[in-house]
Amino acid sequence: MTPAALTYPKTFDRNTDAAARSISMGWRATVWHMLRPVAAYGAAVSFVGISFILTFLLQRFFPYPFLFFFFGAVVASAWFSGTGPGFLSVVLSTVLVDYFFVPPFNSFSITPSAEAYFGAFVVCALIATWVSSSKKKTEQALLQARDELEQRVSERTAALMRTQGELAHLSRMLSMAELTASVVHEIGQPLTGVVTNGQACLEWLSASPPNAEKARRSAESIVRDGTRAGAVLNRIRALFQKGRPEKEWVNLNDLVEGLMILLRDEARRRQVRLHAHLEADLPQVRVDSVQLQQVILNLMVNAMDAMNDSPAEERRVLVASRGTRHKGIVIRVEDCGQGLAPELCEKIFEPFFSTKPHGIGVGLSISRSIVESHNGQIRAFPRPEGGTVAEFTIPVFAGEIDD
Amino acid sequence: MTENGVVFVIDDDESVRDAVTNLLESVHIRAHAFASTEEFFRRGRPDTSCCLVLDLQLPGTTGLQFQQSLQRAGIQIPIVFITAYGDVPTAMRAVKAGAIEFLTKPFQKEDLLSAVYRGLEADRVFLHERTENASLHERFSELTNREIEVMGLVSDGLSNKEIAWKLDLSEPTVKIHRSRVMQKMQAGSLPELVRMSDRLKSASRA
Repeated sequence: MTPAALTYPKTFDRNTDAAARSISMGWRATVWHMLRPVAAYGAAVSFVGISFILTFLLQRFFPYPFLFFFFGAVVASAWFSGTGPGFLSVVLSTVLVDYFFVPPFNSFSITPSAEAYFGAFVVCALIATWVSSSKKKTEQALLQARDELEQRVSERTAALMRTQGELAHLSRMLSMAELTASVVHEIGQPLTGVVTNGQACLEWLSASPPNAEKARRSAESIVRDGTRAGAVLNRIRALFQKGRPEKEWVNLNDLVEGLMILLRDEARRRQVRLHAHLEADLPQVRVDSVQLQQVILNLMVNAMDAMNDSPAEERRVLVASRGTRHKGIVIRVEDCGQGLAPELCEKIFEPFFSTKPHGIGVGLSISRSIVESHNGQIRAFPRPEGGTVAEFTIPVFAGEIDD
Repeated sequence: MTENGVVFVIDDDESVRDAVTNLLESVHIRAHAFASTEEFFRRGRPDTSCCLVLDLQLPGTTGLQFQQSLQRAGIQIPIVFITAYGDVPTAMRAVKAGAIEFLTKPFQKEDLLSAVYRGLEADRVFLHERTENASLHERFSELTNREIEVMGLVSDGLSNKEIAWKLDLSEPTVKIHRSRVMQKMQAGSLPELVRMSDRLKSASRA
C-alpha cells in the first residue's frame, strides 16, 4: 500500500492518458499492421536461407545430408511468424532439400531409394510447423489472458484506493464532528478574551482622565488572545487539510501535544483526565503528520469513548511516547475503561467492525492502513490493571523505504 | 453603591479570567480572579456583598456541581454563569438552582455588568437579612422557656385568656409574660411579633 492510497487519489486523468497512448499508438499500429506480414514471411525466408547455408557448408562432414537445420527453420518460422510463414518455410525447405540434398543432386527429380527419406522429411517438417504454431497460439492466448487480468487488477486497485481515500476523508470528517465542541471552546475562549478586553480597553480610554496604561495592557491582551485563536485554527487546518500526502521530519511528541490542546475541552466535558508521558529527545521520523495525527486522534477519542460508563473519578487517558533510532517510535494510548475482550483485539482493526453503539468501524481500520503505509504496526490489548492499551510503532526510517 | 461589592471570577482559562477582571475593574468594580473552584473555596466568601462569575466548564467539577456543593456547604453566593456553548437545558438547571444569569461567551459588556449588579444587589439583600436574623436570634435567646411558650401561642393568634387556660396560669401573669416578650424581642406591635416568629420558624427549618 502506498501512502497515496490513503488520501485523495491523485487526480491524473486516466482517460486523457489512455487517449494519448492510443493516438501515439495509432500510426505505429498502422505501420506495423502493413509491415507485419512482410516481416513475418521475410523472417521465414531468412530462417530457411540460413539453414540452407549451414547445411550446404556442413554437408561435406557428414555421409548423408544433415537436414536438422531445416527443421529448426520451420519451427522458428512457425513460432515467431505464425502458421503461414511456417508453411512457406516448409515449402521452401522441401524445394531446396529436393534440389540440393536429395539424390540426384541439383535436380528436382528424386531417386526411388530417396523417396521414403524425402517423404519422411516433408511429413516431419509439416508436423513441426503444426506443433510449433499451435503451441505458439496457446502461449499467446495465455499472455493475453494474463494482460487482461493485470489490467483488471490495476483497475480494481485504483478503485479501491479511491474508496480508501474517501473513507480516510470520511473518518477525518467524523473526527471533526467529535471535535466540534472542543474546537468551539478553544476558539471561543480567546475570542471572549478579545471582545471583553476590547470593551475594557474602551472603558479605560473613555474614563476621565483616560487610563493609558490600563488601555495599553488591554490591547496587549487582545493581541495575545487573537494570536492564540489563530494558533488553534492553524492546528485544526493541519489536522484536516486536504491535499497530497506529504512526508516531513517531525517529532511525534509535537503531534501529541497539539492534540492534547484540541482535545482538552472535549476531555473536560466528558470528565476525563488526559495525561501525557512524552519521552524527551524523541528521534524525528519522516511521516505524513496529517495522517499520523489522525491515528493518534482516533486512538485518543476511542480511549475516551471506552470510559463513558466508568465512574468520573476513574476516567483517565494516558498518552505515552518512547523510542530509539534503532527500534522506532512507539505511541501508546491507555484507558481505564471496560477493557477489550482478548478475541476482539484483532477484530477491531477490521473495516466496519465497531464496538460502539453508533460506530461505523472506519477509524481503526483507517488507522491501521496509515500506520502500515509508514511500515509500522498497530495493535491493541487488554491493560493488566483494567482498560485497554492501543499502541503503534513507526520505524525511524519509515519514510525512506517507500520513497 | 457598588464600592463595597467584590466580584470573584472563576475560569480556568487565563484569557477569559484576565479579560473579565479587566472589564470589571474598568467600571470600578473590585474583582478577584481564581483559576479553580478549590482556590475560591480555600478563601471562602467575605462578609461584604459579593458575586461569582463562574465558568460552566471547569476541569474536575463542573460549574453546576460547584453550585450544588456550595449550597450543601451552606455558602450562599449569587452566581453568574459564563459558558462557551450554552444549551438550554443546562441554562434552565442553573437558573432553577438559583443562578442570577447564564451568559454565552463572548458576551456583551452590558449583559455581564447588569448580571453582576443584580448579583451584588441580591447579595446585599441577603447579607442584610442575615444580620437581621442574627440579631433576632440573639434577642430570642434571651427569652425564658415560659416566654417562648407564650410567644408561640400569641403568634398562633390565641387570646390571653386562652393562653392562661392552656398554660394553667392566671391571666395577669400571661399579660406580664407577653409584655416582657414584646420588650425583649423589640416588637412594636403584635403583627411585627408574628413576622418575627415566622422568620425564626423558617430559619430553624432551613
